[in-house]
Amino acid sequence: MRNRATPWFFLTPFLLAFTAFFITPVGYALYLSLFIKKRSGFGPAKNVFGGLTNYVRAFQDSDFLHSLLNILLFLVIQVPLMLLVATTLALILDSVKNGFAQRFFRTAFYLPYTVPGVIAGLLWGYLYSKNLSPLNQITGLKTDFLSSGILLFSIGNIVTWTWTGYNMITLYAALQNVPPDIYEAARIDGASNWNVTRYVKLPLLRPALTLTGIFSVIGTMQIFSEPFVLRPLGYVPDNITPNTYLYLAVARDGNFGYGAALAIVMALFTFILSGFFLRNVRGEA
Amino acid sequence: MKKTALKSAALLLSLALAASTAHAADPAFPKAPSGPVTLEVWSWVPGLDKTVAAFTKQYPNIKIKILNLGGGPATYTKLQTAIKAGSGAPDVAQVEYGFLPAFADTGGLADLSKYGAGDYKKYFVPWTWGQVSPDGQAVYAIPQDTGPFAMVYRDDLLKKYNIAVPKTWADYAKAAATVKTKSGGSVKFGNFYSTFAPWFMALAWADGGQFFQRQGDGWTQTLNNASAKKVLNYWNDLIKKGQVGTLAGFSADYWNAAGAGKLATNMEAAWGPGGYAGSLGTKSAGMWRAAPLPQWTAGSSVKSGNWGGSSNVVTTQSKNPEAATLFALWLNLSSSAVTADWNNGGLFPASDAGLALPALAVTSKNPSKFFGGQNISSVYAQASRGVNVNFQWAPWFPFVNDNFSKQIDKMLKGQFTPNQALDAWQAESLAYAKQNGFTVK
Repeated sequence: MRNRATPWFFLTPFLLAFTAFFITPVGYALYLSLFIKKRSGFGPAKNVFGGLTNYVRAFQDSDFLHSLLNILLFLVIQVPLMLLVATTLALILDSVKNGFAQRFFRTAFYLPYTVPGVIAGLLWGYLYSKNLSPLNQITGLKTDFLSSGILLFSIGNIVTWTWTGYNMITLYAALQNVPPDIYEAARIDGASNWNVTRYVKLPLLRPALTLTGIFSVIGTMQIFSEPFVLRPLGYVPDNITPNTYLYLAVARDGNFGYGAALAIVMALFTFILSGFFLRNVRGEA
Repeated sequence: MKKTALKSAALLLSLALAASTAHAADPAFPKAPSGPVTLEVWSWVPGLDKTVAAFTKQYPNIKIKILNLGGGPATYTKLQTAIKAGSGAPDVAQVEYGFLPAFADTGGLADLSKYGAGDYKKYFVPWTWGQVSPDGQAVYAIPQDTGPFAMVYRDDLLKKYNIAVPKTWADYAKAAATVKTKSGGSVKFGNFYSTFAPWFMALAWADGGQFFQRQGDGWTQTLNNASAKKVLNYWNDLIKKGQVGTLAGFSADYWNAAGAGKLATNMEAAWGPGGYAGSLGTKSAGMWRAAPLPQWTAGSSVKSGNWGGSSNVVTTQSKNPEAATLFALWLNLSSSAVTADWNNGGLFPASDAGLALPALAVTSKNPSKFFGGQNISSVYAQASRGVNVNFQWAPWFPFVNDNFSKQIDKMLKGQFTPNQALDAWQAESLAYAKQNGFTVK
């Protein structure tokens, strides 16, 4: 009979790390989220047990709810656009026969992803400044890319610029894994290039598209560095994304309990969105 | 014989006393603890390690470990977290005046009056002590540097448009109109920093505006006070007429405009000119000058406000609060440290005697050199002595700071009048303070 302890023995390193770096912080956040600040007169605030007060406040906090709406807007506009561009690029790259051109464009498209988010934010900050922007100098317009009305779209542009190449690589890798005999069979059946793309490649890309879609949903929820880096250049609302709002609640306002509650709500929101996304994608299949 | 000895001793003593008031930049510091001590200091003052070398020479048993975690928010986040965690905080940290009450509110700052800091009040410019000791008893920090307000202007542009340096806000508005007409709108006379609440507050401060006040068991918040309304309406009017711009401070756009002669004046704190010299380099070098802040009433003594500047706090986690207090006092009162901080970091001293230090008056070096060799420190020293003493901040100021940008954004878009913007600023900040448990009206 095999020793029942053996699997556990091999699992120990993972379980230890998983407990220390995942379970414990989540548990601590849950614990923190139950405390509120109480004051009487002057002096430091006391942390007292507040039950679900922080959660009630989160759902009544119009600033926070607005930040979730911003994210939904992002999901409806930016994510599909980015995946569309990434898919198109991957398909083009897949059909390029020239080895050098393929390698060159693959690297070129991927390059923005290797630029750290903060640096990307700073670079775009320059490109967006009203009087110096080359975009404005070329078009002769005086667009203020950082005005609060279109700021969300400007940030969406940075995110698209950063992540399209990354998603393209994932989709491209999936295409490379398609056995060539499938294409051959399609050709023999008389399929045109367009038909191969539409009826062979795209359906085979579905799993990879689902994956990039899920990562984009989760990534969108975590947008932070772009708006934060743009803050010194103009008015960026506190609640432009849930993450900036959460960060300010903790780092600026010192309200760790409320910040923890917001983090839990955000995690649930991400969970629901991802589930919704998965369900719809599977439903079509 | 004995009598004369006593007399001469008394004479010597009085001479020594007289000397000590004359050289108040180097007062007698508290006694250093015996035995080895290491102090960790969080500060973003440039070149602080060089400044501190003189301290370790004088107090060889005290070792200073300096960590630069980045200016303002970058340091505050870590300090906030360390205080909350109960460990990991430094002995001494740099905190701006406006953010002091928020840190005092965490309970993580030591009351330095326990270590004799109260005796040193007289060595600082009066208004700075009000910033670190709002109730006049507990002392939360030692004042370090200051940002009294004055006006910087392009001498060449004012001459070109034949304008005298405006002494009152009425003159300033008239000059702004003239420049707009004569330049066809290509040169802005001034600039309104629409995302810098403390800049705006300093202008209202100069007019005696009060935004926060401790009263009884609670606070009074008056963000929409009469001075604030007067100041904001004044600037909004100039902005709407296109005479004043709204470029973001420290941005590439701003420096470009300032260097290219598209901007004639601005209101800047004492640490501002150093930034102009550093950021503009050779562009427009020698063309700038500084003058006292324009006044609301002609012929009145110069009244000013303050923007920025910082202090040194000692945390309750410090194991050597006496030594930490000694260090904070030395750093901000000794003539060697004040001189070094001015030379290396452009810190405009909070020390009263520090304002008269020869290093500040050197005109062959920046920032004065960039300002055409004018002794701009004397302009700012005069401004510092004209800063209203009773100005207070509140623990929830960090929120108020960000909320200002939101309301001004609406005002600039024409959705709010200046008064409506200030009323919304007051209302939203008040609601926030109440929600966070403060007793506030």
